[in-house]
Amino acid sequence: MATTTLPTRSRTREWLIRLSAYLAILVALVFTLFPIYWIAANSFKFDIDIFAVPPEWLPRNPTLKHYDEAFIQRPFLRYALNSFLVAAGTTIVSVVFGTMAGYALARFSYPWQWRKQISFWILSTRMMPPIVSIIPLYLFFNYFDMLNTKSALIIAYTAFNLPFATWMMKSYFQDLPVELEEAAIVDGDTRWGAFLHVALPLARPGLAATAIFCLIISWNEFLLSLIITLTEQSQTLPIGIAGRVTQYKTYWGEISAAGFMACVPIVIFAFIVQKHLVRGLSLGAVKG
Amino acid sequence: MLKPGKGIPAASLRLGGALEHWTERHLRYLMLAPTMLILLALTIFPSLYMFYAAVHKISPNPDLPWQFVGPGNFARLLTDAQFHAALRNTAVFTIVSVSVEFVLGLGLALLLDRFIRRLTFLKTVLMIPMMLPPIAVAITWKIIYEPQFGVLNEIMFRLGLPLQAWAGDVNLAMFSIIVADVWQWTPFIFLLMLAGLASLPVEPYEAAALDGASSWRQFWDLTLPFLKPVIAIALLLRVMDALRLFDLVFILTGGGPADRTKVLSLYIYQVAYRFADPGYAAAISLFVLFVTIVLSTWFMKRMRLAD
Repeated sequence: MATTTLPTRSRTREWLIRLSAYLAILVALVFTLFPIYWIAANSFKFDIDIFAVPPEWLPRNPTLKHYDEAFIQRPFLRYALNSFLVAAGTTIVSVVFGTMAGYALARFSYPWQWRKQISFWILSTRMMPPIVSIIPLYLFFNYFDMLNTKSALIIAYTAFNLPFATWMMKSYFQDLPVELEEAAIVDGDTRWGAFLHVALPLARPGLAATAIFCLIISWNEFLLSLIITLTEQSQTLPIGIAGRVTQYKTYWGEISAAGFMACVPIVIFAFIVQKHLVRGLSLGAVKG
Repeated sequence: MLKPGKGIPAASLRLGGALEHWTERHLRYLMLAPTMLILLALTIFPSLYMFYAAVHKISPNPDLPWQFVGPGNFARLLTDAQFHAALRNTAVFTIVSVSVEFVLGLGLALLLDRFIRRLTFLKTVLMIPMMLPPIAVAITWKIIYEPQFGVLNEIMFRLGLPLQAWAGDVNLAMFSIIVADVWQWTPFIFLLMLAGLASLPVEPYEAAALDGASSWRQFWDLTLPFLKPVIAIALLLRVMDALRLFDLVFILTGGGPADRTKVLSLYIYQVAYRFADPGYAAAISLFVLFVTIVLSTWFMKRMRLAD
């Protein structure tokens, strides 16, 4: 008889587990989304409503005032443009050289254990905390009169985007069958031609994902820009935002508007590369 | 492995063919060279330069010469109470935040893997925080933690709990930083674990189920060992990121109150710029670099990541 009661009991138990699982996922969703909603909501409120106690959960009088303050009256559009130009420059440099290096490390053999050693060394440069290079970089850019320039930022950002791009592209090229390139060489193409005409087109999705990741990493960067740039003409969006959090006053509405706008392109990009996220975040180590 | 220079076509024997031939033969070095040179210039050179800076007293006035002080800056590390506080704070932050992120991320991945069929959309929504600019994350949490009109104190009030200063409170400041970091980076662990779970083989589980192993036993004896490589990568990258924490502290607490959230990156920044002592900052930087190199090398060698 026990056999008839057991399934019912375990079914109730299974059902309870399922319910608590859904509940946990719901909590995670709310915890994840609420802060994003909150910064967006605050960016559309008048100052007086931002300071309201109890807080106004939905903006009652939505306004674009803070967007006007940040992007029209203050130079946040300029900051955003700087951010974009620096990110684009860094991405081009990193993807071009990183693709070649990644291909070389994926396909060629080297004397001794060079392939392994070099891969390892390139990865370890990515592990280097940016703070440890700021002093030499600062003195270096100061010496060459390059402080407050976008080129200085591009050079500094390349230091950690290039290892990333190399490892990403290495992992994509390793996934491609080598036979296609061999066939092209048999057909009379050069080794370089096989890379350019066969491997590269096949790696296009990986190339796009790598480029988008480089854009995101550079767009988000804060510390190096904080040290290298002091003028409106060169500062990036994160620095502009941080500059409105002062010891005496925090411009809540303005930073909410600018902060939210800084997130929008990133979220769009993230959705575009969602298939490649795992690989990108693990520097090609986990295929996902 | 392909041998470069195997099939030079007749076309390349025209004028300039010699150059092309040379390029083709050394392709494996030529393709690697730009990256190697750039990275050497951007990492090795600064590191060497830092050794030079670290044994000098550097005046903020660029016209004054550097004054050689030998190991003086390194000796200061032993007695500098603020440096010790920064070291302790960084260790506490790294250990606590990465552990919490790991437990939450793995737990959530197990739940989703088991109970949700169509994952893609949910996955993408849950991973948004880690893509956002850290500065935007910092100001978002600054608004939430704000003692007067922040949402968190409103929730505390509704629950009948005492209101707190959060990031401004001596005892809660580090906690506040950790919560914001956990919010941003749990998705990272979660996503990698989910990828790991998706690649698990089916057969061992079928065998275990036949043997009547509980799901708890299956988790410890099968899932965790299978996930080990992915876990190692996730933890390595998280620890390296946690050690360089800067943006959140810079905006949320500025290292205060009472140096409770002053982490190494922030302290180096302050020494270099606010206290205008780049020589000493270089000495601290070298210490941090040494610790990261030892940690990451040990980790990567152990996991054979370079293969």
